[in-house]
Amino acid sequence: MNENDIREKVQRLLKGKVEQYTITRGVNQEYYCSVPQKEASHAIAILARDEFELTCLFCVQNFKETGLSMIHVFEKKNYAQFLILEYTISHRSPKEAESIALLFPSANWYEREITDGFGIRFPKSFDQRRLFLHESYPEEFHPLLKSFRNKKDAAKPSKKRKLQPYPFKPVEGEGVYQIGVGPVHAGIIEPGHFRFSVIGETIANLEIRMFYKHRGIEKFAEGKKPEECVALAEAISGDESIANAVGFCNAVERISGLSVPQRAICLRTIFMELERMYALLGDLAGMVIDVAYPVGASPFFMLREEIFRKNETMTGSRFLRQIICIGGVTKDVAQESLHDLMQCTKIWSEQLKDAVSAVKSLPSVTDRFESTGIIRKTLVRPLHLTGPIAKASGMFRDTRVEHPYGMYTHLPIARKILEKGDVMARFETKAVEILDSAQLIQRILMEIKSSEIKTERSIKDGCALSVVEAVRGQNMHWIQIKDGKVERYKIRTASFCNWLAIEHAVMGNIVPDFPLINKSLNLSYAGTDL
Amino acid sequence: MNAISNIFRKKITETLSKEDLETKEAGMQLKKEINTIFGRSLSIREVDAGSDNATEIELVNLTTPHYDAEQYGIAFVASPRHADAIIITGAVTINMAEAVKKVYEATPHPKLVIAVGDDACNGGILKGSYATLGGAEAVLPIDWKIPGNPPSPKEILKGLLALMQSIRDKK
Repeated sequence: MNENDIREKVQRLLKGKVEQYTITRGVNQEYYCSVPQKEASHAIAILARDEFELTCLFCVQNFKETGLSMIHVFEKKNYAQFLILEYTISHRSPKEAESIALLFPSANWYEREITDGFGIRFPKSFDQRRLFLHESYPEEFHPLLKSFRNKKDAAKPSKKRKLQPYPFKPVEGEGVYQIGVGPVHAGIIEPGHFRFSVIGETIANLEIRMFYKHRGIEKFAEGKKPEECVALAEAISGDESIANAVGFCNAVERISGLSVPQRAICLRTIFMELERMYALLGDLAGMVIDVAYPVGASPFFMLREEIFRKNETMTGSRFLRQIICIGGVTKDVAQESLHDLMQCTKIWSEQLKDAVSAVKSLPSVTDRFESTGIIRKTLVRPLHLTGPIAKASGMFRDTRVEHPYGMYTHLPIARKILEKGDVMARFETKAVEILDSAQLIQRILMEIKSSEIKTERSIKDGCALSVVEAVRGQNMHWIQIKDGKVERYKIRTASFCNWLAIEHAVMGNIVPDFPLINKSLNLSYAGTDL
Repeated sequence: MNAISNIFRKKITETLSKEDLETKEAGMQLKKEINTIFGRSLSIREVDAGSDNATEIELVNLTTPHYDAEQYGIAFVASPRHADAIIITGAVTINMAEAVKKVYEATPHPKLVIAVGDDACNGGILKGSYATLGGAEAVLPIDWKIPGNPPSPKEILKGLLALMQSIRDKK
């Protein structure tokens, strides 16, 4: 447990350097530090020097006062709480803010996201291209402003307008050629565009372009009742349904001061770990398939299908959908079913160990896995990489340990990290995670007692931050409720940050290794594009 | 060892311990239909127009050992040029609309378009969002719908079977 107090730390840092600031406590594990716009960049620079890490940056309209508020969520090693630094851009001044992307490289995508959503410009930023609004969206269209009423066809592309192609960063030189891949790919996978610049067979540069699946989830949530948004949270990313539903409900429960019954917390944790198991089994299978060894992938696929079926017998849904609700879970799981789960997890673990060692004993597999797609440890904090990817690159990142919630305050999580950062390290890390999840489930099954499964209470107004460890790392939810309706719902999945790592991982590798590297990360497109 | 002994020899295979007979039966029927209508194989190109990825996961599961849809004549192909049918998943986003139309144009005639999952069938949970145009019908002519959030591999197989039967009935 991290007992350090982030409030004291920030007060010590800002004292005498920043004139006006106020720090107030939030309802979950966050502190809000409010500063005037003119002092914001100075305060942020101080935090950057002290190795604070940018968890997320987003904008909220009419947060505390009228106007657009920039919300910076920071975390720091060995501190469990988050610091939310916010300032409001006065509605009298131009809609501009200072870019912080040189201090925090991960901020660039956030800033471009804010420009698209709210029309705030970052005049000094090194990259001011549009992000989630592609060519066919009209100019000066900013869907997250309150003045924009969400409706179908509000942004329907006009046929007359001539579209300017997206300006990819040019890479030039003798023998450099481009390979464009996507958005439609050869397999059954989600859409995204990869622009390779290649010399011979070696990748000299990769630029990714995402957001083909932008569905407008954040805007869609606005004005809805929180109960209605649980299904929306489940739809953020198919194999993170439980993690996002729990993340959303945690925030709403904290705002309303609602305590969840113990049995419901246990069941939620079991579901979260089952989700981790089936999703990561798919990653292992995918990596083995991508080195053309389908026989080795079959055991992983078979285990995965067994988990899907177990999910269905327990909850009625293979993806564990419609089981989480605000205040608990929608239905109880039969005791025999839980008893059976105990046996299953033991058998699955043994089968998994066999399958992993069978794959690792083959030189034709290890030759492709080792030294391929290296992600260096130095990238982890600047890009805010989390989850198995960070653990495979020599840094222990796990929200369940760093910012514990629910049962994770006392459950022991495996602390294994690997140093190499290549595909093999990610394969091994993911295998360890699955085994660890199986053990966690067994431990919870020993603790679980019968009790109520849901607390009913009316929902209050307010805002809260909630983070969960999803399959791919840290997912962040920030929710503001006003008059019983969702006023703003910001989601930042682990994939959003982790995607940028792939541009570094492929450097110096050959193009045919790209699918393998991509699979070893297996990030969510839907969860990034929202 | 010659060709004949290969046929009569005991097969090197294991039976799945948890085989689902209902799926198997639907699959065998589907195979019969595909044999008559498509001359043994139905090649499908999958296009994600803006789904939450759950439907893709279930489509991939169709190719895994518990289902092994290839034994029934279903193949997921890498190019629209090789496809008899297109499976569309997800409500069509504005950002994907152009690419979806191009896939349709690149697929040779005659072709089937199948919407899989609630989002592709009717726009699903995000119906009415500024960023989606609605179900697959918004951009393409649809021949068949397989609803579900997401439909399970078994439901997808049964949906394909119903489609084949409807084609045979029309003939």
